[in-house]
Amino acid sequence: MKARLLAVAALLGLAWAQNTALKGEITVWSWDIAAKALEAVVPSFNKLYPNVKVKVVDLGNQQVFDRGLAGCAAGGADLPDVYSVENNEAEVFWNRFPDCFTDLTALGANQLRKDFPEFKWTELTMGNKVFAIPWDSGPVVIFYRRDLYQKAGIDPNKIATWDDFIAAGKKMLQATGGKVKMGTIANGQDDEWFRMLANQNACFYFNNQGTAVTVNQPGCVRALDTIKKLADAGVVAFGGWNEQIQYIKASAVASAMFGAWYEGTIRTNAPDQAGKWGVFLMPASQKGGVRAANLGGSALAIPASSKNKEAAWAFVKHALATTEGQITMLKEYGLVPSYLPALNDPYVKKPQPYWGNQPIWELILGTLGKIPPARGTQYFQEARQIMTAVQADFLAGKYKTAQEALDAAAKQISQATGLPIGK
Amino acid sequence: MRTKAPFFFLAPYLFLFALFWAWPILYSFYLSFLNTRVYPWHLEPAVNWGRLLQDPFFWVALKNTLFILAVQVPLMLALALLLALALNSALLRLKGFYRFAFFAPVVVGAVAYSAVFRLLFNTEFGAVNALLRALGHPGYDWLYTPGPAMAVIVLALTWRWTGYNAIILLAGLQSIPRELYEAASLDGAGPWHQFWHVTLPGLRPVLVFALVLSIIGTLQLFTEPFLITGGGPGNATMTLGVYLYQQGFRSFNFGYASAIAYTVALLAAGFSFLQMRLWRER
Repeated sequence: MKARLLAVAALLGLAWAQNTALKGEITVWSWDIAAKALEAVVPSFNKLYPNVKVKVVDLGNQQVFDRGLAGCAAGGADLPDVYSVENNEAEVFWNRFPDCFTDLTALGANQLRKDFPEFKWTELTMGNKVFAIPWDSGPVVIFYRRDLYQKAGIDPNKIATWDDFIAAGKKMLQATGGKVKMGTIANGQDDEWFRMLANQNACFYFNNQGTAVTVNQPGCVRALDTIKKLADAGVVAFGGWNEQIQYIKASAVASAMFGAWYEGTIRTNAPDQAGKWGVFLMPASQKGGVRAANLGGSALAIPASSKNKEAAWAFVKHALATTEGQITMLKEYGLVPSYLPALNDPYVKKPQPYWGNQPIWELILGTLGKIPPARGTQYFQEARQIMTAVQADFLAGKYKTAQEALDAAAKQISQATGLPIGK
Repeated sequence: MRTKAPFFFLAPYLFLFALFWAWPILYSFYLSFLNTRVYPWHLEPAVNWGRLLQDPFFWVALKNTLFILAVQVPLMLALALLLALALNSALLRLKGFYRFAFFAPVVVGAVAYSAVFRLLFNTEFGAVNALLRALGHPGYDWLYTPGPAMAVIVLALTWRWTGYNAIILLAGLQSIPRELYEAASLDGAGPWHQFWHVTLPGLRPVLVFALVLSIIGTLQLFTEPFLITGGGPGNATMTLGVYLYQQGFRSFNFGYASAIAYTVALLAAGFSFLQMRLWRER
């Protein structure tokens, strides 16, 4: 027993010695709440690594991307030690500048492979190389107003498919004289509903190898058809990010669908509606179908030009691959962890007062393992811009069927990217 | 030896010109024939120029740009001419002050004034909608509906550049010899006739100059749509300049962005040539 304790003590001592051996300053680039969340894990990091000074710089989302590209184009000049990147945009970096970031397998990234859901890795790896570690994710759920649903006699537990959702929407219209809709779809500003529904149906702009355009395949057609059905039934409103928030504040919509990071947006924009909200799983396209998708999420990478990669790696690991780091960010800033062991933390099971004391994180995080993978590829922004226009045209009646619209989208995306249309 | 001396004095300038002007201009022409969507870049002449013809977004951007050209430029120049005539009038006091006041918008930073326009045209809290509501009109969702968004861009451009053009035209007005007006009034020409037969012909070279400047400025238009509407909603206010930026610095497709840039340059050259021909001194 004593020998064992001694051995443990020796090991701990060894670990401590290694930890204190890491020194110097590391700079971290991030944005908004994400930057604040990283800031929040610095104290616990410094308890383990007292000699590493972490400087988190909040540049704003677009600036991080723009300066990152510029830095990579300039051969790695002026880049930080830890770089935040959105999953969807990440592949531009690995594809255009394969030498700009550190291959993290050399630092031990492969040992973390199983700790994150597979869909989070798709955009962060190229061949055998791992360029970034998954951070937060955006499991899609429906946020709903308990009071409005109740008034219209809708039971959210009975909404299992999109057809159920539309039927519920008709009830809602009837009960409120057409004043309250079931959600807000961006039309012309974005195509996020299409992306969520397509992902649910295991379809996306591109295949998971990133080698072909697949936006006109059956799962995507079904997704666009559902959007059309929702629009034709008149159960949804239209509007971009700002309108969506306005409608929520004005109680003009009874629900919203987004990545779970939207939780904080609702909570902070409508504090007076506390206790009235709840969460349920997104409806499936048919009975028994998948009720999970992902929208958004980010990762951390280490530029190859970093002078202190060991310290940067220690920080990345502490922030993203420990329950302590991930739960801190969830608690304080609502960043949804993708680190699977964090799902067992007691905080996840805690009822949330704003959400009518529903333990929403348990429900939300429970979908992580069911999300079909999807690849943004380096052409994500272009495909999104095209799809946004095609969706708006389709809803305006420019195409006869969803298939026809998506065939047109596939042709345009193929032209813009040079990738063939998949069979 | 004597003949070479000037080149030594010019050398710093020539060096900078070659490095920061000539080289990028030539290099981007070369880039427009490369496929820059892949690593490493390689020569594939049809990829960008071929795409240009079939790319619906490029046509939308071109259409928006030409719309602004056809609507905003004549509107602005007409206003500028009226302003210049007023500023030149013998009846006006405090001329210096007015000249400064109308020129001032150009001095204001584009980012600052764009932010102010965003606030003015904010749907819920903007001054413009507050005024409309006071007049009994529900107001517009200015920045998020296509037509009104374009109207905001046109208004912003007009606000910023009318005074600038008015000052140019004013200089032109002042260079028209007084004797011409004297002679005209002796011949019995009224103010309207004088404007039509003395002022306008005398102003022609300056007008052409202002027109060409405005057309080139509009073809390159980027700041206002980028900062005020972000090219949106959808692509409703996306100009060639904004699309070029998106392709170059968001999608990092320098080849295609260069092809767009060269198209803009060709259009500008074509328009200017046409102007000169149409308005040539007879």
